[in-house]
Amino acid sequence: MFILDDVLVKPFFSVLDILHTMALGEMYDMGSIRDDIKENQLLYEIGERPKAEYEERKQELEAELEMAELIQSQMRDRMEVKR
Amino acid sequence: MSNKLYTYGIVEQEGLELDVEGVGGAESIYTVDYRALSAVVSDIDTTDPERTDDAVEAHNDVLQRVLEYDGGRTIVPMSFGMAFKNGRTLKGVLRGAQRALRSTLNDIDSTVELGVKVIDSGEDETAEEIAQAGMTDRLSEASINETENDLFSDRLIVNKSYLVDREHRDEFDAAIDTIRSAHDDVTVQYTGPWPPYNFVDIHIGTDQQRGGR
Repeated sequence: MFILDDVLVKPFFSVLDILHTMALGEMYDMGSIRDDIKENQLLYEIGERPKAEYEERKQELEAELEMAELIQSQMRDRMEVKR
Repeated sequence: MSNKLYTYGIVEQEGLELDVEGVGGAESIYTVDYRALSAVVSDIDTTDPERTDDAVEAHNDVLQRVLEYDGGRTIVPMSFGMAFKNGRTLKGVLRGAQRALRSTLNDIDSTVELGVKVIDSGEDETAEEIAQAGMTDRLSEASINETENDLFSDRLIVNKSYLVDREHRDEFDAAIDTIRSAHDDVTVQYTGPWPPYNFVDIHIGTDQQRGGR
């Protein structure tokens, strides 16, 4: 049973693992969050976004960026361990 | 009092001393000379200043002040965060980079950087086509050099930096007015003058000093 589990289940978990890593990578894409930070700043500067809304969005995005940095560094550590 | 020095940029050798708010709470800036070069500096308590919005703004404000001081100065801007242990360390760095600095000062002599962003109103789908059909041609004609910057938003049609001779600034301003009056379906964000961040690429010490905001 152990051999059967190992053969049938392990690849399944590997695929899930890859999909999970890809989903996390997309969700916590630091480049895209940085773009959103710049867009927020731009819309404020040209007067399309009021100051209160700009500041609230800025705080949200900065928190997202911090989380993304953490997740990405954990993902890098995981990849390094697997190699 | 600390003798650590925060560096904003490099000018041709000159004794400058200005009352202006600098990084880390400094109230004035001054110059440290090395041969034909002068580093624009202020005193600071640390060699690793924290990169806050206010600190970056103070860094840029000092550069802008020097850029426009008494008819204008040519300045090679440093990236945020260049602080040195003392004057001797700073002079050592200037010695190592003096050839590149002198050459860059020569290349950007009497110029300023101007930033142009054209933003789609989001209502007119043809705006991008209009932009691509030569909206910025006159800006190119009125400038010495230009760089294309990142289009970080779907609404950004143009994001460019231009290197413009101070003497041709009026022509550039007129080109901006023309774009604004010809295209009321877009917003033109025109900024500067800035030190020529995007036209300077000097490597100093262990840190790379590259233009770009």
